[in-house]
Amino acid sequence: MEMRERIIAILVSNKPGVLSRVTGVFGRLGYNIESLCVAETISPEVSRITSITNANSDFIEKVKKQLNRLVDVMDVTELIPGQSAQREMILIGIDLDQKDRTEIVRSIGMFDCKIISMRSNYCIIQVAGSREEVETVINFLRPFGIDKVARTGVLALRYKDRSS
Amino acid sequence: MEKTGAEILLQTLREEGVDVIFGYPGANSLPIHDSLNNSPIRHYLVRHEQAAAHAADGYARATGKVGVCMGTSGPGATNLVTGIATAYMDSTPMVVLTGQVTTELLGSDAFQETDIIGITLPITKHSYLVSDPGEVESTVKQAFEIARSGRPGPVLIDLPRNVMAAKCEQSGVKNIAMPKKRHAGNKKNGEELQRIATYMNRSERPVILIGGGVKLSQACEELAGLIEKGNIPFVSTMMGIGSVYTLNGFNLGFIGTHGNELANRIVHDSDFILTIGARFSDRSTAIVKEFAPLATIAQVDIDPSSIGKVITADISLVCDIREALTKLTPLVERKERSGWLKRIEKERNALGKDRSMKECGPAGAFIRDVQTAMPEKTIAITDVGLNQIWTVRSWEAKTPRGMITPGGLGTMGFGLPAAMGVKIAVPDHGVVVFTGDGGFFMNIQELATISYYNLPVKIVVFNNGHLGMIRQMQDLFYGARFTDIELGDKVDIVAVARGFGIQADKVSVENSGAGIEKMCSADGPFLLEVVVDPDTYVFPIIPPGMSNIDMIGGRQG
Repeated sequence: MEMRERIIAILVSNKPGVLSRVTGVFGRLGYNIESLCVAETISPEVSRITSITNANSDFIEKVKKQLNRLVDVMDVTELIPGQSAQREMILIGIDLDQKDRTEIVRSIGMFDCKIISMRSNYCIIQVAGSREEVETVINFLRPFGIDKVARTGVLALRYKDRSS
Repeated sequence: MEKTGAEILLQTLREEGVDVIFGYPGANSLPIHDSLNNSPIRHYLVRHEQAAAHAADGYARATGKVGVCMGTSGPGATNLVTGIATAYMDSTPMVVLTGQVTTELLGSDAFQETDIIGITLPITKHSYLVSDPGEVESTVKQAFEIARSGRPGPVLIDLPRNVMAAKCEQSGVKNIAMPKKRHAGNKKNGEELQRIATYMNRSERPVILIGGGVKLSQACEELAGLIEKGNIPFVSTMMGIGSVYTLNGFNLGFIGTHGNELANRIVHDSDFILTIGARFSDRSTAIVKEFAPLATIAQVDIDPSSIGKVITADISLVCDIREALTKLTPLVERKERSGWLKRIEKERNALGKDRSMKECGPAGAFIRDVQTAMPEKTIAITDVGLNQIWTVRSWEAKTPRGMITPGGLGTMGFGLPAAMGVKIAVPDHGVVVFTGDGGFFMNIQELATISYYNLPVKIVVFNNGHLGMIRQMQDLFYGARFTDIELGDKVDIVAVARGFGIQADKVSVENSGAGIEKMCSADGPFLLEVVVDPDTYVFPIIPPGMSNIDMIGGRQG
């Protein structure tokens, strides 16, 4: 069976302790969560959890069934690449010297990036895009000396929800 | 009118039909115990919280109602854990109340504070921390709804002391909304029912496999109707024993490691298995790839996570069992099945030759004698170990709730406290618990509870001075290198029972008639110690890693 990244979107009640119930299911089944993103949806009593796990194809069925047993879980859907928009945002902190400074500012235009803070010896760059785009920027900036990276984890939405 | 959180709690429990709580008080549950003074709910004080959970479990299994137990915060709550896990594994509807430190102390390592919700996350269906007396009513109602709906299970409500003591206007009751599931219901259920019926009607060697879910959905009569109409032989899991009682030869026994050889062999030969409310535990299937190799498997269960978890079902139906059976029976045709039934009869006769081991030897004969001596309406409770297998194979469960056993978790120490719960739940029934010396010592303190409330429970302690089932495994699978299994014979169990104020006697298993007579005719509780040879094992048995037809002590080939 093929191991690959599986993206799952879970709608849950926006209440204390719910996240630990959800992540507990992944842990008990022996799956690692590679990326996790949680926030309130348009209705404040519902949160959307988007998670990525490297797993075989039977993972989806297993995790779906176990998650659906939780009272606070309202919906579980797999988001398949090609049928959903997937984006990630990262913030990259870079230590600068003067020479880098001009080159970074010049080359950053090639990418869909934004410098959101620039001090004399440090800058923070915001990158938003697909996983590949984000990785490309990280790889490009690596030689300049990346100090820290903060990633949101992948967010995804299905292009058209057939069930609605 | 203003009421305290505790008063609202007890009032809501009454509205949910609760008449009994098994519990043990402590500082943080005192507001509740204080209010119990003015409530018609009876509180039974056990001697250890684990027993409260098992008693509530026994109460629920005997009645089908939700069992309720209560402990204080910290150690009171952690002592409940084994009982909660037992209920969870066997899908017993149960509501667990725990005291908790005041809300301002939460998370401060206060005296007797423990994160019981965190501890019990994997062994509860759901849990609540109540932070406002206004939430008590809707929380309790939801907890009962969750405990008994779908696949039942334990729900825990953590109740901080100040929330229980605080007053609130009842009119200001806050409603906690129950999250709504999307994608509920399976639209294809009608087609699947038709497919099951078609397979059943076409199959030459069908078997119905009954799990514990049939009792839980109170679908035993409907199932008996299907079996009768379709002329279909049936087996059960250990949890399904007693769901359908018939003497027409269709009952082949229960499957699995310690199951009946006939049941295991017929399942292996079958070409279609209709599985109802069973989850194919490893104890039932032995090695999965050799389970029923010729059969198309259909599975009906209320819990989608039970389907395809262990065995891939060719046809599956997520549905309430009673509803499924009501719709399925009219679709199933009556078939003679004479070839299949003859083959089963032949197998039954061939296996019947060596009955000595299969009928569990002298222990089995003893259990049958006890059943004869007890009133017709008697519930047998088992502990875990040899006593459990002897009982489930020898006691004839004539009603769905006629025999109670902790099948999933296999909790030693379950029997004695569960029997208290059963007796309190159905006082007009006879109650007998079969336990071994190992499990008996694990909750021996409950003799004090039984004695205090004068509960007429009959207690059979099989004493072989050893952990018998583990001894059997060491004997068969670990080269007879016996270690750490001897309990010895230093304890005078009869004297101990009498010390607790319970009448008692001691007999040998081979010569037990007078003892049985004395136990069954005694008023009030009675303990009968039954001495058994430590070499008396359970046969046939499936060794680890073997298939259901490779039973040691079974027929070869």
